[in-house]
Amino acid sequence: MEKILRKKSFPQWVKKLESYRIYAPTKNGDLWNYELINHSEDINLDYLNTVLSPKKIIFPQRETFLEFSTSNNGNPEIKEVLPEEDPSLVFGVRPCDAKALTLTDQVFGGDFDDLYYWRRRNQTVLVGLACPTPPSPNCFCLSVNGSPHSKEGLDILMSDLGDRYYVESLTEKGNKLLNLAKKLFEEPKAKDKKDLEKIQLASEKKIKRQIKETKKIPPKLKEMFDSPFWDEEAMSCIRCGICTYLCPTCHCFDISDEVLSSSPLEGKRVRTWDTCQFPDFTMHSSGHNPRPDKASRLRQRILHKFQYFVERYKNYQCTGCGRCISKCPVGIDIIEVLNKVRGYGT
Amino acid sequence: MEPNPYIPKLTKIIQIKEEVGGARPIKTFRTQFLNENGFSFRCGQCAMLSVFGKGESMISISSSPLVKDYLQFSILKMGRVTSSLHDLQEGDIIGVRGPYGNGFPIEKWKGKNLIFIGGGIGLAPIWSVLHTALGKKEDYGKISLIYGARTSKDIVFKEELEELRQKIKVHLSIDVEEPEWKEFVGFVPVNVLDKKPSPENAISVTCGPPIMIKFVIQNLKALGFKDEQIYTTVENKMKCGIGKCGRCNIGLHYVCQDGPVYSWAELKNLPQEY
Repeated sequence: MEKILRKKSFPQWVKKLESYRIYAPTKNGDLWNYELINHSEDINLDYLNTVLSPKKIIFPQRETFLEFSTSNNGNPEIKEVLPEEDPSLVFGVRPCDAKALTLTDQVFGGDFDDLYYWRRRNQTVLVGLACPTPPSPNCFCLSVNGSPHSKEGLDILMSDLGDRYYVESLTEKGNKLLNLAKKLFEEPKAKDKKDLEKIQLASEKKIKRQIKETKKIPPKLKEMFDSPFWDEEAMSCIRCGICTYLCPTCHCFDISDEVLSSSPLEGKRVRTWDTCQFPDFTMHSSGHNPRPDKASRLRQRILHKFQYFVERYKNYQCTGCGRCISKCPVGIDIIEVLNKVRGYGT
Repeated sequence: MEPNPYIPKLTKIIQIKEEVGGARPIKTFRTQFLNENGFSFRCGQCAMLSVFGKGESMISISSSPLVKDYLQFSILKMGRVTSSLHDLQEGDIIGVRGPYGNGFPIEKWKGKNLIFIGGGIGLAPIWSVLHTALGKKEDYGKISLIYGARTSKDIVFKEELEELRQKIKVHLSIDVEEPEWKEFVGFVPVNVLDKKPSPENAISVTCGPPIMIKFVIQNLKALGFKDEQIYTTVENKMKCGIGKCGRCNIGLHYVCQDGPVYSWAELKNLPQEY
């Protein structure tokens, strides 16, 4: 379903969607993040990109799995804690971040469905906003099978045509949102389609950074496992882990018990984001550590995204959002690393 | 509603046996499910044990799937969870979820001689597959066990090993000389070279510390074993057990799901990060 929505009608549409819990990019100081919105006027789509991707809505940084306590007979008892059933929608999802969720979908599905992830995923509608100019100077979606107007993973894609949005509904979930405010939407005319094409083409040309011949990277990485290259590249890493915490595709986590009272026992088991960049991530209780140094951990991040994930799920585990580059305190740049990999030793 | 893979089932500890004392104590626990029917598993699979308030730890199931009325776990006291398990009493309740992992392809080994090679607590996963094979002894050729520990006091399943001698060849070793010790003295890989198991129509299964496994495989290769005849188990830090949390990742594999059992033919092609 393809429609035109006048920008001045946007708040009226949002008003019609009040049965949903609505998240939208919200400015706090200089930083944007997805926050719950109370009034339709609060939505401001003049952002570039958010610090954290909307992954945090589907897979929050911290969540409770279960609660445990001591029952009347003195034995422990447990109570499952699942996310509330609460239809949600997210405005202003960048195409790279929506695609990232199609990647985490593969991890949280498979033989064992992660009920916590899927309950949120299934009840959340993703309304995307195409990028007329790259939200970050480090955007490189075109190098990893993406584009600034990709529809992958989205329910609706909105494109900014100046005074109006070109609105494409891509799923049943998306159609439902448009049908709640039918009168506000117009049929697109030939000029609208032409303008859309023009903007899309221009937006691709504005992306300056690229990984060259990405396809050649996975087999090359396989050859370079034991290369001293990783020591050189990881030299400056201060193992802060921000590259993985801000990544829209990283999914590693920890499970731990938090005790409120030890007698009688009361507490909860929680999941929190974790990172392969921390030394204790892989450390056995014996002290043995299969990835004992910065070099092996940087190698793990790069190889997981550009070799292992490709081998397992047939896709790069990277959507080119550029967050890990922009926020790395020591300037480790995954594009530069991969471009060096491609030509290494030749 | 689909089952929630993160919710453990409650089990009661029905027996605790002290295997090894001292600084590296090992206890064997037997558990029974409280309410639900338990689960069926294959030998070599693992389960995630919960001590509520302490956390979870992935432990290999050391009883055979042929045993239906309890699950057995032999546990070396090491980290936070295993230490708290060692503090528990018979009758206490712990959580169990699983089973996880691929297990040993024991059906494929019918008609073959089986050589089990273990070190320390590594006898636990071997114990399950060894007893499953013994339960259908007529399906297999000669079965033997080469097992070693640091000292004679560190040997697990002592009485059971003596009983086992009635059925199969058992070769024990300790790392350093002791006055009363009559068997081999030296590391397990050296005992393998000393006993010279024949690779002919054989499968070897080795479990133990990573360094032992490395040299056992080297020595088995020297004795003429092919990569496909050598099986081992990989241990990596695990949290979820279902291929999502990322900790046990090596290459395209998640050890909790795609392992922990590997032939050397498979394992040598993965990054050596275990």
